[in-house]
Amino acid sequence: MSSKPEGYIEIKFGPRWKYISPARLFIQSFVAIAIQDQAKADGIAMAASELLENAVKYANGEDTEIVVQAYPEEGLIVAAVSNYASDEAIKGLQALYKKVMTGDPLEAYINQMREAATRTDGKSQLGLARIRYEIGANIKLGISPDKKVTITIEVK
Amino acid sequence: MSNKIGVAPIAQDKIKITVDDTPNGIAVRFVGDIDMEDPSIVLDPLFEKIHSSVVAQKIPEVGADFQNLNFLNSSGIKAVAKWIMKLAMLPADKKYSIKIIHNKAITWQVTSLPTLTFLVPGAVKIE
Repeated sequence: MSSKPEGYIEIKFGPRWKYISPARLFIQSFVAIAIQDQAKADGIAMAASELLENAVKYANGEDTEIVVQAYPEEGLIVAAVSNYASDEAIKGLQALYKKVMTGDPLEAYINQMREAATRTDGKSQLGLARIRYEIGANIKLGISPDKKVTITIEVK
Repeated sequence: MSNKIGVAPIAQDKIKITVDDTPNGIAVRFVGDIDMEDPSIVLDPLFEKIHSSVVAQKIPEVGADFQNLNFLNSSGIKAVAKWIMKLAMLPADKKYSIKIIHNKAITWQVTSLPTLTFLVPGAVKIE
């Protein structure tokens, strides 16, 4: 990755579902303009939307944040979504991350879909597997001592 | 209701869903966005009604027309997967096929929808 992005946006909002859709559309426009690649912009917007949905669902506190950085010369987009979460939510996310990042991306996605179809707790737990398979993203999970969860995706 | 299974059109949040008769059965058409927090509230009862009616009436094929659906979140994918998985439980004489109709100009449809054909091999095709 370059040391400095050519452009970036930062969106911070109280975790309300109604703000996810406008954030997705704004991110889609930003990426399309930044790197002149509509398909990649669509994929990043989908991924950002999935991560924001999770952040809003499991946020503990008000601040939900997404930062999207563009490196046009490398065709690279880095997006990071952060929120504070409870110990229980963090534990669940760590287990899910380990599961969906293992093995073949398509196989992991199909397995998650089959599992989702039988879940009765209202969760889908498909977002990370979808992002990994559909846009080939490198996904990193970071947790700070004050329980701030950051999921970063890199797409080239 | 202009379809043989008696499903009324649905308009909720940013999504409109209609069911039409087709020469081989019926087609479910989605227009708008499925990005609400819990799409299962709308989709699960709809797919259950379609599934039970199609089995009861021995309808051979259900089209799932996503061509005018701008966005489908993973909770919506879960609902579609749940419907498709019902096909795996059917005895041979009650099986029907699902034909997914997609729009190649919409990126998520090209990447998301073909994966649904892997859930129950042979039961779902895409065009």
